[in-house]
Amino acid sequence: MNERRKFGEVLTGLTGLTLTLLLSFCLVIGLIFILSRTPLRTIYFFFVGAFTNRYYLGNMLNVAVPLVFTGLGISIAFKASVFNLGGEGQIYAGGLAATAVCLAMPAANGFLGGLSALAGAAVLSGAIAGVSGFFRMKWNTDEMISSFLLSSAVVLAANYFITGPLGDPKNNLLATLAVGPQYGLARIFPPSKLNISAFFAMAAALMVFFFMYKSRAGYEMRMCGLNREFSRYGGINVSKYLVLPMIMSGALHGLGGGLMVLGTYGATIEGYSFGMGWNGIAVALIAKNNPLGLIPAAFLFAYLDAGAKAAMLNSDVTFEIAAIAQSFIFYFVTAQALYGFARKRRRA
Amino acid sequence: MPYLEMKGITKLYPNHLRANDGIDFSLEKNEIHAIVGENGAGKTTLMKILYGLEQLDAGSIMLSGKNVTIHGPLDANRLGIGMVHQHFKLIPEFSVAENVVLGIEPRKNVLFMDRNAAVQRISEVIASHGFNIDPRARVLTLTVGQMQQVEIVKMLYRNVDLLILDEPTSVLTEQEIHKLFETLRSLQKDGKTCIIITHKLQEVMEISDRVTVMRKGKVIAVRRTAEVDKAELARLMVGRSVLFQIERAKNACGSAVLELVNVTLKQRGRDRALLDAVNLTVRSCEIVGVAGVSGNGLGELEDVVAGLRRITSGRILHNGEDIAGLAPATLRERGLAYVPADRLRRGASLQSTVTENMIVTSHHRFLRAGFLKGGKIKQFAERLTKSFSIDGGPRVPVGTLSGGNIQKVILARELATASNLVIVAEPTWGLDVASSQFVYEKILEMRKAGAGILFISSNLDELLGIADAIAVMYRGRVVAFLSNVKGLSKERIGEYMLGLRDDFAPPRTQKKDEPA
Repeated sequence: MNERRKFGEVLTGLTGLTLTLLLSFCLVIGLIFILSRTPLRTIYFFFVGAFTNRYYLGNMLNVAVPLVFTGLGISIAFKASVFNLGGEGQIYAGGLAATAVCLAMPAANGFLGGLSALAGAAVLSGAIAGVSGFFRMKWNTDEMISSFLLSSAVVLAANYFITGPLGDPKNNLLATLAVGPQYGLARIFPPSKLNISAFFAMAAALMVFFFMYKSRAGYEMRMCGLNREFSRYGGINVSKYLVLPMIMSGALHGLGGGLMVLGTYGATIEGYSFGMGWNGIAVALIAKNNPLGLIPAAFLFAYLDAGAKAAMLNSDVTFEIAAIAQSFIFYFVTAQALYGFARKRRRA
Repeated sequence: MPYLEMKGITKLYPNHLRANDGIDFSLEKNEIHAIVGENGAGKTTLMKILYGLEQLDAGSIMLSGKNVTIHGPLDANRLGIGMVHQHFKLIPEFSVAENVVLGIEPRKNVLFMDRNAAVQRISEVIASHGFNIDPRARVLTLTVGQMQQVEIVKMLYRNVDLLILDEPTSVLTEQEIHKLFETLRSLQKDGKTCIIITHKLQEVMEISDRVTVMRKGKVIAVRRTAEVDKAELARLMVGRSVLFQIERAKNACGSAVLELVNVTLKQRGRDRALLDAVNLTVRSCEIVGVAGVSGNGLGELEDVVAGLRRITSGRILHNGEDIAGLAPATLRERGLAYVPADRLRRGASLQSTVTENMIVTSHHRFLRAGFLKGGKIKQFAERLTKSFSIDGGPRVPVGTLSGGNIQKVILARELATASNLVIVAEPTWGLDVASSQFVYEKILEMRKAGAGILFISSNLDELLGIADAIAVMYRGRVVAFLSNVKGLSKERIGEYMLGLRDDFAPPRTQKKDEPA
């Protein structure tokens, strides 16, 4: 029992993370040796490919942007000890909301219109997540389950709008009509798709950091997350902090989705954010819910993604290699984080 | 040769508390043995060690003359030891039979549970002990007494020879207690051995063959029940008076700060009220002590006055205004300070820093546009850590501090802001003499400054030392309100605490405990 506890503590430390990453990389290399006829070439592109030209590098950074947002969303909820498993639906809905706002105002000013589009994204996704928080407050419904179930429904509803009322019949992709060109975010690293949303992501991480550690609401939220009984005793309105973190979490997911639409795709494509919500959880776990740690954690995930794409284009493996590598990391890191979480619950 | 012999059992808890301190405990085959003692005497810890829920730090256990090590309940069950916990460990949605066989289900075809076999065997156990439960009924439909029977059946199904019952009567009605005692006697007839932990002396006299008295982690006495009376047991439990070094200046009491008028607290599913028409007044410059054994309403009193639990009826007045139902934050604005008994969960957030703990009740005073003023907060925390000489400084997590220092953090926070009503509950529990002295001094300072203080404690020595008056609670009622003058003895308070005396007994209303 004692040894097991100590072992867990070591694992949860940074050594644990390094170990986890090394182990996953080894497994990926092993897989490449099995699956590729030119393993060394594949390994080269997998690990170095993302840095070989501006296009790959920029796109890699661009993939990291929404992950920072979803990671922030997950972290903010985690810090309050509420759990948002509905990221998939919320990021998807955010993109759709942004698209809908833009389509409704085809001739608006790009800046103001873009702002309203992002506001729409944040409001819709915040509301979706907020529902789960509200149920938790009102009837003690497990927000983990309700947010997940709601998100699954939201994805289907969004698909209806993408292919139905907002659909673009002329496009071969299952996608909405394209938003007006004035809404496109400025590209900053051509020829890649990297755009100014990268700065938004960094600003968001900073803002969430200051919110959590310097603001009153952030302090109260963290106290509720660490010890709800203590917070109630101290006069903090604990039910408020079952709902507010969910709303903020949803809003951050929505912003991530909205920025992807405005910055990268110019429309909502069916399934465009598939997996982003789950990856957000992994990113948050790697960063140990530290808002500033999310930036490197998101890079790591994007790097694996880009490496796999580069390896696929230049060698003979498929993109699934990246998915497998990511899931290795995801599983190991989740197991490690859940171990700590389980201990926390047992003590509480 | 005794059936069970525990020798030199010592158990240390993290904050250097000796929960069990070199305990020798022995058990004859086929006896019913009662263990009595105040809260924190170490009774439950000793039994948890025997049942494998806690690991001993020193000592040995011999069962039927053989040395045994017990790593967990499964080991204990294998050795024929079973325990019925104070809080039942049942799954409400499962049937009685499913709960009983949980973990050792009879199988058929390797994979499937043999429900019929389970029900049949359980029915036999139930019938042979005269229980009144249907093995197919879902546990959530049972009464508390029946749930306890399920727990006992669970142990009998596992063929235990030694049954430990931890405060089995605390949740039962009189009738259910009688039924339980019949069961224990029938088990004794079957050759089983029972240990029963209790606070209630009447029950000790009624059911046990022998009794072990514990106090502060030590065994004080072992007696044949036939050879002691309740008064002697009470004296052994609370111990001889220790003179406390508390300078308590005479003080003129002011106006009433806190008044409880017929405060009643009921819980769904329990016939007995947790607080039963409690009347109590605390004046300014006055310390009113509240004594009682756990489970008699002390914790509930703390909760309702602090606004953490809604009362069912009655009124709670603060400076003449009704405060029942107000939020904790509002109460604090009105001048409430509160040092809770549960300091590790309610009083402190162990993973947060000392600073974060110190500002939980006052952080709204350090605001600029929704953001906390870091500099001011730092000064505030540094000032408090210095004036309360808290080790480690303001930036360490509270969980890394010792028990005494954690209590100092809580006191520092609660006493930092001017307050006129102070609730302190078990403030020196687990603290050493020096820290306790420090706590008393701080509380007396508050009294001098004019606050009314409600001092809830199960430590009679400290109540006699510090309180101006002492209210005693028994079964949710105030049974005595005693002015703390020379000549008030622990023995006398002990008799009220254990229900032997009652100044405010309603004329023959005992009947209301009976179910309709």
